[in-house]
Amino acid sequence: MIAVFLSHQWKAFWRSRNKGVSIAAQIFLGLAILYIIVIAIAVGFGMEVIIEKLLPGKDVFHVFNGFILYYFTFDFLMRLQMQELPTLSIVPYLHLKITRQKIVNFLNLRSLFSAFNILPLFIFVPFCCTAIADVYGSLVALMYVVSIVSLCAFNNYAALFIKRLTTVSTKAITLAVIVIATLASLQYFNILSIAEISNRVFGFLILYPLSGLTFSLAAVIIYIINSRYLRNNMYTEELTTAQVKRVSVDYPFLDRFGAVGVLTALEIKLILRHKRTRSAIMMSLFFVLYGFLFYKKSLIEKDEFNMMIFAAVFMTGSSISIYGQFMFGWQAAHFDGLLVNKTNLKDFIKAKFLLFTIISTAVTILTSFYGLISFKLLFIQLAAYFYNIGIGTVVVLYFATWNSKAIDLNKGATFNYQGVSATQFILTIPYFLIPYVFYLPFSLAGHPYWGVACLGIAGLAALFTRSYWIEILLKSLKKRRYKIAEGFRAT
Amino acid sequence: MILEITDLKKVYGDKTVVNISELKINVGETIGLVGNNGAGKTTLFRMLLDLIRPDHGQVFSKGIDVASSDKWKDYTASYLDEGFLIDYLTAEEYFMFVGSLHNFTSVQVTDYLSQYEEFFNGEILNKGKYIRDFSKGNQNKIGIAAALMQKPELLVLDEPFANLDPTTQIRLKTLVKSLKKESAITTLISSHDLNHVTEVCDRIILLEKGLIIKDFNKDENTLKELEEYFSE
Repeated sequence: MIAVFLSHQWKAFWRSRNKGVSIAAQIFLGLAILYIIVIAIAVGFGMEVIIEKLLPGKDVFHVFNGFILYYFTFDFLMRLQMQELPTLSIVPYLHLKITRQKIVNFLNLRSLFSAFNILPLFIFVPFCCTAIADVYGSLVALMYVVSIVSLCAFNNYAALFIKRLTTVSTKAITLAVIVIATLASLQYFNILSIAEISNRVFGFLILYPLSGLTFSLAAVIIYIINSRYLRNNMYTEELTTAQVKRVSVDYPFLDRFGAVGVLTALEIKLILRHKRTRSAIMMSLFFVLYGFLFYKKSLIEKDEFNMMIFAAVFMTGSSISIYGQFMFGWQAAHFDGLLVNKTNLKDFIKAKFLLFTIISTAVTILTSFYGLISFKLLFIQLAAYFYNIGIGTVVVLYFATWNSKAIDLNKGATFNYQGVSATQFILTIPYFLIPYVFYLPFSLAGHPYWGVACLGIAGLAALFTRSYWIEILLKSLKKRRYKIAEGFRAT
Repeated sequence: MILEITDLKKVYGDKTVVNISELKINVGETIGLVGNNGAGKTTLFRMLLDLIRPDHGQVFSKGIDVASSDKWKDYTASYLDEGFLIDYLTAEEYFMFVGSLHNFTSVQVTDYLSQYEEFFNGEILNKGKYIRDFSKGNQNKIGIAAALMQKPELLVLDEPFANLDPTTQIRLKTLVKSLKKESAITTLISSHDLNHVTEVCDRIILLEKGLIIKDFNKDENTLKELEEYFSE
């Protein structure tokens, strides 16, 4: 049965409409993964040497132990963002003679085929098999490996479970954000150290090797929770859409923008009235916490803004990159209607700008709490904000004119993960690289502040020449509107 | 003449789905487009509305190529399928949206809608539902009403009778006929129901595999003629 599912997926991939784009993305992704794996192998086998080089004089085992949970915490956050949820549109299978359990098993099994699950093996296992086996004996080494494999499985299913919850319920997202924010701030202010905990845990494991099975137990538990959740949610989606009275709403503050305002209001409603889009926006609020990871005090003092630029751009523009990467697919279902109505494409594009500007401004105001850490951060975030509303939006919208992959908003959210993948994410790479074109020349010359200012000015310049960019986007959209409409119609 | 089609062709793979060398449509005509599945009716409509790029030829609306300018949108209203509806809006919101594109005030829209209470049969307004939660027939009604509301000079409806209940079918026919009397509206309707088409339209165009097989004005023998053609 699983082979049949796999073959169906294989066909779905090769027969998909956006084949060209997805194949190119897959190849790129494959190369990137290969590259990372090579690095992981090098790190794995060179662990001892690397630790001695980077942290001379420290006990190698001490560092290694401290690193494990640290890695998996980071791994977990990365998975939340990047890992692809195994997709299988289950509706066509539900009424057939296939047990739910089989479908669940397939989804669970498929999720294991992910680079996230291979990397830790390459990184940690060599050291366990050599250094740890030599010093502490083979049982300890074996339990190390068991622990690491279990942690992998745990992270895998926990991340998918949380991802599934968050695509459905906004409450779950809020909860997840609060928990992670608390942990992040504790770590940031050195109240709680993951490395310290990790050290203790694995120190204990060396003394009592069998305690490593606790990790396996945790993995099994989360696996069961995940499977149960999947099984129970295979059909309840439609049943639980309660009969709520829907009310008409309008947004008077958008009236002054005329037709553009009307279209923007339309899209705001789209976002607010679909689970899928709501959680995409919520997710981008979640990324506001990235500052805790990237804004390192030592770096701020030394004026090394490299990573901070990335974080600032990502935070102030997260909604642009996360929501924007699927554009105009969100509107696929009524794209024909938009084309034949008395709207013009220029207003359509302008409305996107307005929407992005509104959201980005709100998020930027929200992130200004980082100013409490350092005023420099406010400066960086302001530059990043200008970049986002000036240049970032143009980049994202330009890619949008190439995208003819529809997103069916009305499919139940639980099993609708269209487009939630790293492949779409690749399209945003230029979006994150461009800021460095402005920043790096100055920072390399020793003027990081000039670099930040240059980024901000470039953003402002693009903002003031917006009408020019709109024309370019309009041209691109006009040229491809038939293709886009056809792609959207096809689903 | 409001519409002129010259040498229009659309090919998918090795199949020509629309192949019309010449077609002229005059102001005030009510045209029924008939043909079996795959005859090219919807594709033709989509090209009229600039939703599909023709492989060859052009569609001129009031003398302007529809692909080159948005002018035709000012006087053309259409409803082909649910893809034209914005399904996460309430029916009222959708009417307001369409109205606002034509600079109608909300009072005008409400006013207009009250005229169509009979057509709606109490099933559309103030239901507290998003469009996606309506039945297909009621979605059709919303789409058709929104098209009519725009007071178009050119109206394009693809199988408007499908999914409608018998009462509404009859009401729609009356509506279309009365529109013709009130203004010089040009209407294009496709349908599989020969009775409806012959009743409402004054010119029938018969498509087969993308070609215009017959194009004639309606008379008392039309229904019989069409039935004969389709029973062959």
